[in-house]
Amino acid sequence: MIEFLHVDKSFGEKEVLKDLSFRVEKGEIFTFIGPSGTGKTTILRLINLLENPTSGSILIDRQATKVSERERVDLRRRMSVVFQKPAAFRGSVYENVSLGLKFRGTAPDEIRVRVAEALHLVGLEGYEERIATTLSGGELQRVAIARALVSRPEILLLDEPTANLDPVSTERIENLILSLNERFGTTIVLSTHDMVQGQRLATRIGVILNKRLGQVGDALEIFYKPESREIARMVGVENVFDGTVTSNDGGLASIDISGITISAICASPPGSQVTAYIRPEELLLRVGKEGMSSARNEIEGTISRVTPIGPNVRVKVDAGIPLIAVITRRSCEDLALFAGARVSVSFKASAIHVGMPRVISSE
Amino acid sequence: MTLTFRTVPVLLLLSAFVIGGAFFAGCTTTTPQPQGTPTPTPSAEKTKVLLATTTSLYDTGLLDYLEPIFEEKYNVDLLITSQGTGKAIEVATRGDCDILAVHSPSQEKAFLDGGHGINHRCFAYNYFIIVGPANDPAGIKGMKPEDAFKTLMTMGKDNPAGVSFVSRGDNSGTHSAEKTIWKAAGYNYTTDVQKSGNWYIEAGRGMGETLQLASEKQAYTLTDEGTYLAYKGNLALVPVIEEGDILLNVYSVITVYTPTQPAGKIAMANNFSNFLTSLEIQAAIGEFGKEKYGKNLFSPMSENCSRFNCDCTSPAVIVSPSSLS
Amino acid sequence: MNEIIDGFVQAGELILSLDPEVLEITARSLLISLTATVIASLIAIPIGGFIHFREFGGKRGLITIIQTLYALPTVIAGLFVFLILSRVGPFGFLGLLFTPTGMIIGQTVLIIPLMVGMTLIALSGVKKSLQDEVISLGATSSQAILTIVKESRFAILGGVILGFGRAISEVGAAMIIGGNIRGYTRVLTTAIALETSMGNIAFSIALGMILLAIAMVVTIALFLVQEQ
Repeated sequence: MIEFLHVDKSFGEKEVLKDLSFRVEKGEIFTFIGPSGTGKTTILRLINLLENPTSGSILIDRQATKVSERERVDLRRRMSVVFQKPAAFRGSVYENVSLGLKFRGTAPDEIRVRVAEALHLVGLEGYEERIATTLSGGELQRVAIARALVSRPEILLLDEPTANLDPVSTERIENLILSLNERFGTTIVLSTHDMVQGQRLATRIGVILNKRLGQVGDALEIFYKPESREIARMVGVENVFDGTVTSNDGGLASIDISGITISAICASPPGSQVTAYIRPEELLLRVGKEGMSSARNEIEGTISRVTPIGPNVRVKVDAGIPLIAVITRRSCEDLALFAGARVSVSFKASAIHVGMPRVISSE
Repeated sequence: MTLTFRTVPVLLLLSAFVIGGAFFAGCTTTTPQPQGTPTPTPSAEKTKVLLATTTSLYDTGLLDYLEPIFEEKYNVDLLITSQGTGKAIEVATRGDCDILAVHSPSQEKAFLDGGHGINHRCFAYNYFIIVGPANDPAGIKGMKPEDAFKTLMTMGKDNPAGVSFVSRGDNSGTHSAEKTIWKAAGYNYTTDVQKSGNWYIEAGRGMGETLQLASEKQAYTLTDEGTYLAYKGNLALVPVIEEGDILLNVYSVITVYTPTQPAGKIAMANNFSNFLTSLEIQAAIGEFGKEKYGKNLFSPMSENCSRFNCDCTSPAVIVSPSSLS
Repeated sequence: MNEIIDGFVQAGELILSLDPEVLEITARSLLISLTATVIASLIAIPIGGFIHFREFGGKRGLITIIQTLYALPTVIAGLFVFLILSRVGPFGFLGLLFTPTGMIIGQTVLIIPLMVGMTLIALSGVKKSLQDEVISLGATSSQAILTIVKESRFAILGGVILGFGRAISEVGAAMIIGGNIRGYTRVLTTAIALETSMGNIAFSIALGMILLAIAMVVTIALFLVQEQ
């Protein structure tokens, strides 16, 4: 549906995107994640033909986009954007939401029906006569979504769609996004810095790092099998170690990490330089000898820090290598963990993602 | 991206939309449009002729008085713009008016010699007078005008605070007459008079304003008698010198000619000349102002202008300079 | 002092009794200046839109020139139009000198720079993000321009009102181009100049009061528009 081929984008001297190539399939929810200010918005603007690539080409539904302005308008009319900070036009909510249809020359009766329908979808029934510029940030965000939906776009572009919303509204909008995708087969491209949202919504995720598109894959791949330290750090894979494969017994390898040996599932032959990634949720903590772990890896260590994070607790363990575990607050209380306590940390061989050591060049 | 600009018509439409509001904003407060005003409103069927004239003829009210009579007689719309003689002649030279009525023989001659006008007729005269403060600080009362100017120059240079003179300074007929007097008194106007010091003030305004300025400054000035009489009530100035041949002030009317001037307008301008020199209107000019000022502001020629060396009797019939020969 | 008080009393009488000449001059002033304002708007707003929406070399310099011309002296505008409309000038064949139409042209020329400038200010007051919204909502170029001009309509209208205020209160161009012909091109400002020079103080004050009233209404209208 959307295809980028070696797209570069600079604003004057400032390079924003470099050599971007990807394809968004019809009916998919594709999410760009990445830190703020890394060009996610620019990607959406390029798709919407608000910007032209400095080099490379963009295809929409296999059509070239370097065409006349009139044809670009026609392409643009098949999509809608919700900007991160939507702007309201003077006048009522009705006038704001109906604008796109007016541009398309839709009949007034039809416009009335479609506006009411769109406002219903975002939970703003009866807001037609409210003055748009007086709405709260959250209301305005929903008006902007209604404004985007009213034209029944084939492609919906959402830039941080829930950044300004409370948790209840966020859930509502996320559900709306999923149902639009399911009911109408709308192709959705969204950007977010909220990894969890990306995971909840996306068919596929693309990670933007240092002006480039890094890993592309489904949530499982991105969250459990990051391709690089940078991506790992972004998606919350906090245990990343470089090591050397010392033996490999039919896929079960022993990896030496600074003198500590762990077992992991991987195909690399002995002698390979590898990087091991372990999500902190995969680590189990035990105090003393009570209970037995079925996990292949078990390392003794001393707790160096316990930090509560919401309903969970982040426990840092010095076990020759620094290990970070995230456990529930309840488990933490049951185990009576404190800084200085001796614990044993266990994790399954299958919980380790082993990759080639790779650093995304900062160039 | 930048919006490409393709649609001027759209913007035109828009502006119409925006100014709709402006009209509204302006109109809500306008006074109602007057119905049936007594002043002549231009109408499509009437010919319009434009008379460029000097402020002294206009500001006295003489032309406003004659205008409706002429308009009724010839079913014409007479438009009058009053400027200094110099400006009026400039307008006429450019062909921007149809009739010229001024009072500066030398400038009129140059205008006619340039082929810009035909049918020069004098129709009225009065005298320039020198007016000044009642106590006459320069003591020029009763002098010949040329001698009075010499005295003013001497005393003004010595004591600019006590004796000063306000000149029209606008190339008008009155200004031209003033220059004639300076010349007769033996001065070069540009070198001896204009740069002679603070006592000599160039107003650059019409006669009425110049009189008011002279009154405020308690200075002397040269004025036509008519304007002085019309303004007398507001002025603290009295006539100081009223006699002398050099003070004669003759008003003339000229039909403006340009090769593209429509024949109808030339004919109508000639009508105006003949109207002014007709005995009936000559009599009216002789009466004008008597009631209000106790004295007529202008003396008519009444077919007796041989002593002024001008024509006040021949009907204006010529329609182009070449038809002279 | 008495002269001034008497002047005001007589002026009040002239206005309250709806003196036909006072009304006629007022109506003519409004008609000429409103027409000039409408024509200037039709020219200035599209020019402002063109400059705003289009990138071209020398744009910055052009805007500076326009801003300089805000203060275009009325007599210079008057002289310029006088020379153009004079019979021997390029448009002399139209015979528009010393006509109300000529005055309208003069005032139009006079206020166009101001109104172009005000249009530019109004349009640049529209957020860039709103322009993006318009385009991404599928507007064609003309629809986008229309929407953005509409969005800034109150600010543009403010400029239009300002232009009208300048047109109706100027005397230089009206005098030079119109010639102050009674019943034809005499407007409030030129009449005030003439009547003052003729010593008709009451008449001048009456006209001055009307002019002030119009200026006040313009100011109030501007204020109300800017409140929007």
